[in-house]
Amino acid sequence: MKEEEIKKGRIKPEDWPGNLYWGSGIYREKDGKTRLDPTRQSYPGQPMPPEDAPDEIESPSDDLLEDDSEPWFSRKPSWHGRDAKRCREYLESLSDEEIIEKYYELRDTKAVWGGSYYYPNIKKLFLTPFEREKDRRETAIWQKKYGKSEVAAWYEEAQGKSCVWWIENHIVAKHAFNSCMSCGTCAAVCPAAEFYDYNPRLIMETVQLKDEDKIVELLNADTIWYCAQCGTCKLRCPRGNNPFALISSLRQLSQLKGYHVSSIRGRQQYTGRHLWGGNYWNRGCSIYFRNTLLPFHLDFGPRFARYEINKEEIYRRIGGCPDMDGSMPGRKVHPDTLHQLRRCWQVGGTLYLWDQIEKYAQEQAKEWDMDIDDYFYRV
Amino acid sequence: MLPQDEYMTRQTKIYNAEARENTWRRYIKEIPDDGYFLLPSCVLAVGYPGAEVMQPRLLDILDLDWNWNLKPEAMCTCCSGIAYHGDVSTIESTLLTTARLWSLAQEAGYETIAVSCVTSFGIHSECFDLYHEEPGLKQKMDKLLMEACGRKFELPRYIIHVSDVIYKHRLRLRDEFMTYQLVDKDSGRPLRGVDHVGCHYNKLFPLERSLGGGEYCEVLSGLVKAWAGKEIDYPERRHCCGMGFRQCMLTPNRGFTAACVNKKMVSMEPFEPDFILTNCPGCEVYLDKEQWAIKELNGKEYFIPVLTYMELAGLLLGWDPYDIVGIQFHTVPVEPLLDKIGIPYDESKAWLGKDGQTLSWIDEILRATPAAGAARMGETIS
Repeated sequence: MKEEEIKKGRIKPEDWPGNLYWGSGIYREKDGKTRLDPTRQSYPGQPMPPEDAPDEIESPSDDLLEDDSEPWFSRKPSWHGRDAKRCREYLESLSDEEIIEKYYELRDTKAVWGGSYYYPNIKKLFLTPFEREKDRRETAIWQKKYGKSEVAAWYEEAQGKSCVWWIENHIVAKHAFNSCMSCGTCAAVCPAAEFYDYNPRLIMETVQLKDEDKIVELLNADTIWYCAQCGTCKLRCPRGNNPFALISSLRQLSQLKGYHVSSIRGRQQYTGRHLWGGNYWNRGCSIYFRNTLLPFHLDFGPRFARYEINKEEIYRRIGGCPDMDGSMPGRKVHPDTLHQLRRCWQVGGTLYLWDQIEKYAQEQAKEWDMDIDDYFYRV
Repeated sequence: MLPQDEYMTRQTKIYNAEARENTWRRYIKEIPDDGYFLLPSCVLAVGYPGAEVMQPRLLDILDLDWNWNLKPEAMCTCCSGIAYHGDVSTIESTLLTTARLWSLAQEAGYETIAVSCVTSFGIHSECFDLYHEEPGLKQKMDKLLMEACGRKFELPRYIIHVSDVIYKHRLRLRDEFMTYQLVDKDSGRPLRGVDHVGCHYNKLFPLERSLGGGEYCEVLSGLVKAWAGKEIDYPERRHCCGMGFRQCMLTPNRGFTAACVNKKMVSMEPFEPDFILTNCPGCEVYLDKEQWAIKELNGKEYFIPVLTYMELAGLLLGWDPYDIVGIQFHTVPVEPLLDKIGIPYDESKAWLGKDGQTLSWIDEILRATPAAGAARMGETIS
């Protein structure tokens, strides 16, 4: 079998280590020559240093983004007061064009390292106040440029209607359940119910009764935010109902109506909007996970900390290609692909949802006399 | 001679073999032989990059036809699943994102969507299901997708998970390629494997989409058995790992994740498992990493190695544990399992960089108490 493989011109396993960049189509043969297999390529020419590339850097720790000591490029939640104020003043002094242009200029700066190039600033810009401010301005520009989509108009209309109307009309809610007999199976098997003061059966009952006041009370509470969306309730429900999808739909309604900011768990959605939403908007994936702050991940242990410190080298040894051109996590998604994706999200009404989350957070931050960046870290 | 338990079962006629076979057939889904449009995972490539890199390699040695990115303007993206279950994406945006991915596969001439993430598998399946539930949804999405990115799409013929592909070819992998078996090299004892199937693989559509249904899912235990290991059933086998999207990713909520992992560990410990096998990137991260959190919280060291099905296959194929499989990315050391199987490794090479370069690291990290991470950031933690 192995001889046949070699005859076919396949790359032998012993030639793999560190030589093949996933998705790049590039591999180095034993004679030392680099060859390209376009059928395995994700993006033409990806790991070859470009002609106009800057000088090679010695190690990935050589900063390209030299300003990262400035608060607008820092993700440390510990700064308050003077730094936070300085950060706000700086970001607000930039016009929309300036902030967007500067962001993309920083993001697209290449560094040649380890025989290929990559974009070190992608990692450094992740979830910074600078990126968040850029996203706010950019999504607002998109909303103006493309106008309100049909779906966004539906969500706007739903905001003014009753919760009962939502349950009867939202596509997820209306298919989530037919008639619940309150048997309690969902509560018995629910992992969240084991650890939280939480009972999916009561949520199903409240919704089924269609009592507007009780539903509003539910949407203002922490309750719906405890669900882990695991789907165990769907598997075990004897009536074939789908409680976790119903809860997901209620969470959307809570955010549209602004009830979520009344609960501690609910207002965390502001962080979620910039974490998952920011990843999606800028990097085409929900989770980036390349620039972890170790104090927030102490539970991940010493080996995690050890590779996190030298992750660029270790990733490349394995054959991963973080922060290079390519698709998916930790890679620079091609601008055309990213544009298509952003349009999907704009047409699908998500930008409208983000606007609402942003609006309610700004209102609450103002009410609490708090900076929006401070609010982000505190929630 | 039959083993004792099988002999007893046959004698007492606890079950009818034919009826059992018929029941099993209800839970078998069709897995196409070839032609997979791969959709990678957000978490896997950064958490356990070896597992992601091995995917095309495994498909290549099996000589299967696969593809993913077509051209720069038509590349794969995330399915938006985490944003959807984290409730910052509307269902319409998620439907459009999956429709775009299906459209890419169809443009490339593939009928099978093969995803490597269980959340994605759930999202693709849920979207597919919604088209059958909601009249007129397909027409509406046709119009919206055309407006958003000028693409057309049809519902895909197959939606499968990459672990289904490996399951289908498990015996071929064993017979033609594998060097090692899941057997203790000293005693000849089959190694005990605990499976943890991602919730969105087998709980959302147990009949249509899961191999073996929700309760006795075979997709991973089938691999363990085929590769000479022993499947372990334990009380909390079907419990969620606690990843929970907003639970694990928003730091204040992560106690829930640790609690779920702890519950599973307490439940599986009496069965003395040698390893845990997963097919979900999220479960892999948290079952692995939260074992350290449990050690820090209550001092209990479970330290049961957690592997994805690709990593396990890679190790049994004899691929280098550090260069290809990437076991150094695991919080719980995998080396004790390698010792049991008899896979050679050189621990001094574990932390080398590309081309064997020596890397600098901080002594304090090795001691890794909470202060170690904080020290790196120049902060103190009270």
